[in-house]
Amino acid sequence: VAKAGEESFRFGLTPVFLDNDMTLLSLLQAYLAQQLRRPVELLKRRTQGEIWVMLRSGQLDAAWICDLTYVQHQERLALLAVPLYHGRPLYETYVIVNKASDAKTFDDLHGTVHAFSDPDSTSGYLITCWMLTLRQAVPGRFFRNVFFTYSHRNTIRAVANGLAESGSVDGYVWDVMKEKEPDLVERTRIVFRSEPLGFPPIVALNISRDRPDTQRLAAALLAMTSHDLGREVLSMLTLDGFTPASPDLYDSTAQKWNIVRAQI
Amino acid sequence: MEHSEGADLMLRVMRIAAWPLLVKVPVLAAGLMITGAATISQVVFWQFAQDQESNLRALTDAYLDGLSAAVLPGLIRRDVWEVFEALDGSRSRYAGIEPRYAIVALPDDKVLVASDPRRFRLNSPLPGDLLRWFGAEDGLRVDAQAGRAWMARTVRSEGFPVGRLFAEIDIAELLRARRQILLALVAVNGCLTLTFALGGYFALKRMLRPLSVLMCYVERVRNGSVEPIPEGYQGRIAHEFGQLFDRFNAMARAVSERQTLASQLAEREKYAMLGRLASGMAHEVNNPLGGILNAIDTIQAHGNDPVVLQTSLDFLKRGLAGIRNVARAALVTYKGGSDTSLLTPTDLDDLPFLVQHETGIRRLHLDWGNRISEPLEVEGPAVRQITLNLLLNACAASPVGGTVAVTASCANEMLQITVVDEGPGLPENMAALLNQAASATAGSQENKGLGLWMTGHLIHRLGGHAEVEYPPVGTRIVVTLPVVSREMLDAAE
Repeated sequence: VAKAGEESFRFGLTPVFLDNDMTLLSLLQAYLAQQLRRPVELLKRRTQGEIWVMLRSGQLDAAWICDLTYVQHQERLALLAVPLYHGRPLYETYVIVNKASDAKTFDDLHGTVHAFSDPDSTSGYLITCWMLTLRQAVPGRFFRNVFFTYSHRNTIRAVANGLAESGSVDGYVWDVMKEKEPDLVERTRIVFRSEPLGFPPIVALNISRDRPDTQRLAAALLAMTSHDLGREVLSMLTLDGFTPASPDLYDSTAQKWNIVRAQI
Repeated sequence: MEHSEGADLMLRVMRIAAWPLLVKVPVLAAGLMITGAATISQVVFWQFAQDQESNLRALTDAYLDGLSAAVLPGLIRRDVWEVFEALDGSRSRYAGIEPRYAIVALPDDKVLVASDPRRFRLNSPLPGDLLRWFGAEDGLRVDAQAGRAWMARTVRSEGFPVGRLFAEIDIAELLRARRQILLALVAVNGCLTLTFALGGYFALKRMLRPLSVLMCYVERVRNGSVEPIPEGYQGRIAHEFGQLFDRFNAMARAVSERQTLASQLAEREKYAMLGRLASGMAHEVNNPLGGILNAIDTIQAHGNDPVVLQTSLDFLKRGLAGIRNVARAALVTYKGGSDTSLLTPTDLDDLPFLVQHETGIRRLHLDWGNRISEPLEVEGPAVRQITLNLLLNACAASPVGGTVAVTASCANEMLQITVVDEGPGLPENMAALLNQAASATAGSQENKGLGLWMTGHLIHRLGGHAEVEYPPVGTRIVVTLPVVSREMLDAAE
């Protein structure tokens, strides 16, 4: 039970999942507070970069970040847990177009207005850049215009509304939104699916890994399926649970990042 | 012809001064009410339209203020999504404003982002209409017919323009409300005006009803019937009309009394005339009676002489025939013929017998010319009375040894009786009695005109008229009476 006046455990969130659902956030906060036996403060920021800076500067105790951010700062971060989606700690990147678009393949997206999620997102930026790198192209020239929405959900909205003709999104977010907001998602169509990639992890700084609260957080996440509140949270997230993970889960992401980074 | 009558009617209608008071006053009241209501409606509607436009400006200003603040951060960074999010979020945020689209443009008039990205694509030039309407200025443009309004606003950061905001809003609801108010104003004012106009009409009609009553009774006077207005009306009318009614009734009573008096005098005159006629008749009977008695004496004395006997019997026969003619004429005149609706030629022919006493004592020559050859559909006794009266007057007016001429003829369904004398001339005031209704001036000075007044009354009753002419010597009176000829009667039957 959380004690009054006690300092909160600060947990950072990014739009790697459906961070707009206030019910989900309140349930997650309640579950973590129950398990950590102290107040938990969920801190949302618009970009991956902001969350990394807050984590690095000690403003956050832990965070759910994108796998690319983890890969970029792997040497300073400790993996606490990874979500299980369809029983695996993996997800895919989708490149989508508006339902009315004639595009059939990734190459058909040439000359379109493209919406990225976040420059530090694997699915929302890296994979598309990697595909372009393989074609010896860069986003600014391959696409007619590009912009960032800083949320997978916003990318889907941008493509569905016609603001963008194509977009790069997290496959897990697209799948879940298809169930929750079918009217919106059905106005988009997938033209490219990536290979399975390591799911965005929950991390803490290496230096905080052994702190009791950090350990309790990892334990709470891993034991989520054992608690009613935890199962409710998982159900809303459409996840099967959390599992411990090793860094090699993200090797493929790191490899692609290195390829892209070499060209940039 | 019809066109001319129509034009006359039109002219009469156009002459407002000639309208009846009963119509003019309510129409005037209704006209004033309609003018007042129309003016008030116009002022209210104009004020409402001004308020609505002012409210629209205030609303659009508030909308643009809010939108400018929302898009400014993204516009400065040219962040397409952030600006789109701001536009998208503003769709339902402003009460009273129904935006159809909003465009955020860069200073080079290219679309950064629009709320309807399919219609206004990223980086496309601004629609020509918007540039033409607003140029580089800010403002509001309203198209009431299309039910749309457009607005432009420059978005500034620290005084520097960083872009422009354009929006089109749907003001159909606003205009519908305006139309509804106009209709309500027209309907309410129309109903009120109509109600007041009708109320005014009936109230004034009720107030002016005594005038109609008075007019009705005055009209009756013109037709010869003088009746006072019944007392029952007096209790329900205004004081002024009460006084008017009282004065009318006083006049009606005076006229009625004069009429009664005149009737009585006429009756006396009739008896006097009858007396004169009777004495004349007695004279006419008496004259031959002396001869008859002489003839009888002669027959008694010299009856054996066939020549004397025959001469005496002839004389006796002529004398008795003269008495018979006088008696028959008196009988027909004062007892009436068998058919009072017809005038036969003989109805007039025996009149000379009635006046032979008058003509005899004055040694007048009666020039009798009855040219009527068939029965006429006209009241015979009345025509006989008219002719007899005029003839008696003519005899009285003519000098001793003068000539009195009477002619009766019928042409074009009009019976014309002309009586000419050689007297000093009928005074004009007496002559006027022939053409005046009985009630107007019953009787005249010294009862001298009673015969003429009675004659005039009869002429008026038969629907005819009399003309009095003055030849160099005497008077010529022509009475014209409408008749229906026997042929027409037969044809009708």
